[in-house]
Amino acid sequence: MMNQQVISYPKDGPPTVIPNEWQVWDGQSDEGAPLNTSNLPHGRSKVLVPFDWWRIHNPAHHQNTDVRERANKGEIGVWFAADEDILKHSAIIEAGKTLWPVVGAHFPIFRDGRSFSTAALLRDRFSWEKQIRAIGDVLIDQLLQGARVGFDAFELRPDQNLDVALKQFDLFSVTTQNSWRAKRSLLEA
Amino acid sequence: MYKYDHIDQTLVNQRVAQFKDQVERRLNGTLAEEEFRPLRLQNGLYHQRHAYMLRVAIPYGLLSAKQLRTLAVISGKYDRGYGHFTTRQNIQFNWIELEQTPKILAELAKVQMHAIQTSGNCIRNITSDAFAGVAADEYIDPRPVCELLRQWSTLHPEFAHLPRKFKFAINGAKEDRTVLQCHDVGIELKKNTNGELLANLYAGGGMGRTPILGSLIKQDLPWQLLPSYLTALLRVYNRFGRRDNLYKARIKILVKALGPEEFARQVESEWEHLHSQSKNSSDNFTPAEWERVAKHFTKPAYKQLPSFSNSELVQQWQADIDPNERIGFVRWLERNTRSHQLSGYASVILSLKPHGTAAPGDATTAQMNAIADLSDQFSFGELRVTHEQNLVLADVQQSELLNLWRAAKKQNLVLPNIGLLTDLIACPGGDFCSLANAKSLPIAAAIQERFDDLDYLHDLGDISLNISGCINSCGHHHVGNIGVLGVDKDGEEWYQITLGGEQGNNTAIGKVIGPAFYANEIPAVITSLINTYVEKRWADESFIQTYRRLGPTPFKEAAYFHQGRRNKDKTEAFEASDISDAAKPVTAELI
Repeated sequence: MMNQQVISYPKDGPPTVIPNEWQVWDGQSDEGAPLNTSNLPHGRSKVLVPFDWWRIHNPAHHQNTDVRERANKGEIGVWFAADEDILKHSAIIEAGKTLWPVVGAHFPIFRDGRSFSTAALLRDRFSWEKQIRAIGDVLIDQLLQGARVGFDAFELRPDQNLDVALKQFDLFSVTTQNSWRAKRSLLEA
Repeated sequence: MYKYDHIDQTLVNQRVAQFKDQVERRLNGTLAEEEFRPLRLQNGLYHQRHAYMLRVAIPYGLLSAKQLRTLAVISGKYDRGYGHFTTRQNIQFNWIELEQTPKILAELAKVQMHAIQTSGNCIRNITSDAFAGVAADEYIDPRPVCELLRQWSTLHPEFAHLPRKFKFAINGAKEDRTVLQCHDVGIELKKNTNGELLANLYAGGGMGRTPILGSLIKQDLPWQLLPSYLTALLRVYNRFGRRDNLYKARIKILVKALGPEEFARQVESEWEHLHSQSKNSSDNFTPAEWERVAKHFTKPAYKQLPSFSNSELVQQWQADIDPNERIGFVRWLERNTRSHQLSGYASVILSLKPHGTAAPGDATTAQMNAIADLSDQFSFGELRVTHEQNLVLADVQQSELLNLWRAAKKQNLVLPNIGLLTDLIACPGGDFCSLANAKSLPIAAAIQERFDDLDYLHDLGDISLNISGCINSCGHHHVGNIGVLGVDKDGEEWYQITLGGEQGNNTAIGKVIGPAFYANEIPAVITSLINTYVEKRWADESFIQTYRRLGPTPFKEAAYFHQGRRNKDKTEAFEASDISDAAKPVTAELI
């Protein structure tokens, strides 16, 4: 189920709750039809498609005008499954840097930390500058960690209290290791 | 020892506030138990058989008198008058109420202590040599590196939800006193001919269901580069460690599956990116950071003193020692003191292994207060916790040893059994732990009672006996010369014996000798094993040396000789299955 609001926490600004413009598509159609572009949902104009699907149906290769047009309009992003080895697909991700306004990284369950490394790699290795959105089983108590490894948007599980969520980001005024947002306090001391 | 500055103190205070809020959300029902569990575990709070257990970190085993007094207060005020020191240099309180934990953590924070990452699937408390900084065989004092890595790993965001727990051990002496190769990462420190501090890293060691010794994957890494290298290593583990099966989720399984060479190659490949990118070079430690930490590990105000051998000391005190005291004191000097880097000083081990009257590693509120006083009086107000669950006064003047012995004797802390059969390691077992298949403490007590004769124990000499109440191996039975493992079959408690385990520079994993025994058979079985050793040993040969020379057969025959072979079929069928993955449901709160 989609959360109608997301937390946006840009690197250079405070966290705020904003409307959710991006629908996450799981790669399956309601009718269970095989994967193809016609299954893309149209409920929202902007869609995050599974990276795996993009890789297989890469519109640049497949001349798929519908997806390509939408991508060119900035309406298509991709999301990475927790077990996606993004380093194996560097060329596609490098090409995506000019095309996707947003990428997502998925948490199948809140205690699965693989997407923390995915976000860190996107920032470190791919120099991904645009939004990285946490999706899936995203809970209040993961936000701080996510914000530090490279996430700057969070679609929380719909039952999570966004007021409580917003209070998580400034719980700590000091850190003892570098993060995407700041060097460790020890270097600034 | 290390003193918090405003950064450390702020971080710990804010962590207390964060946990307080999490507890409040749990209590008001907005945070479900299933989702609270990893949060409380990452703050050392387990739900045990009777109550919550709080595990408090004693980083690399170093403790001040003031801190120990606070632990004593907590044991009296929030627990039942005692605490349990663990093999990984933590202390556990067994009777804690959830509602009280924020208050306890606030009290701990006032003395620069916490329970951060003492549990959960994250980087755990870093352990080291209990004799760091004073051991005569030390190459390099590991404590500054321990502290730097403690800080680096504290609340590390990327590694907050690893596939499983992750344990570091760091050693800087000739003898390994950290069971380095049984850790997820073992770091061996040394200096090269230019005096530069370098690290060798072993990865993929561990005990549990699949005991494996770590493999050397990196040599001669300059200490400054540890953060970037460890980031690479943990990133490979975080991404590729198994998450489909809790029992195959430790890094040892990944290292084994890939092979140590391939694992090392993947880490190296990741590290090249991290380390070569100029923007990331600031991940590594700086000389200023070293200085900030290392200045706290300078030598205390030692006096210049003459050095004495133990026999010279006894000679000197000939007139002072009461004849009744003599044998106890002489044995204590022999077993419970260690040589020191500095002339005229010794390190003293206070035994937390009384014979059958308290659980191994337990100290009462009164003992904790008394030990704090002893450390103030005799050892610059500092203490250490050992892997074997005893306490150390590291800097005692040799001329004070008799006074210390007399003072400590009043608290029942001078049993001269360090390194002997009754200095056994045991987990809390089925009396407390929800994971345990069987009780550990009654077995430990029964063995200590059976071997209560100090003359005999001293004749037997060095031998290690380690007891775990389940295959999670908190009692480190795999590395005991004799290991005892509690197993469950059809609701009954059974005990499997392993032989040949060893810690130290010849670390080895013990091998199962055969079908398991009933609890009441264990003292007799241990007696048979010991008798076999006594019968077959060559002069001055230790138990493990005799075992290595002869192999398991004579010990095995002796152990099963008196068994009427009743339940033969049952026990043999059981042997194969008792360490299966199905032994416990995966929902159990893993340690």
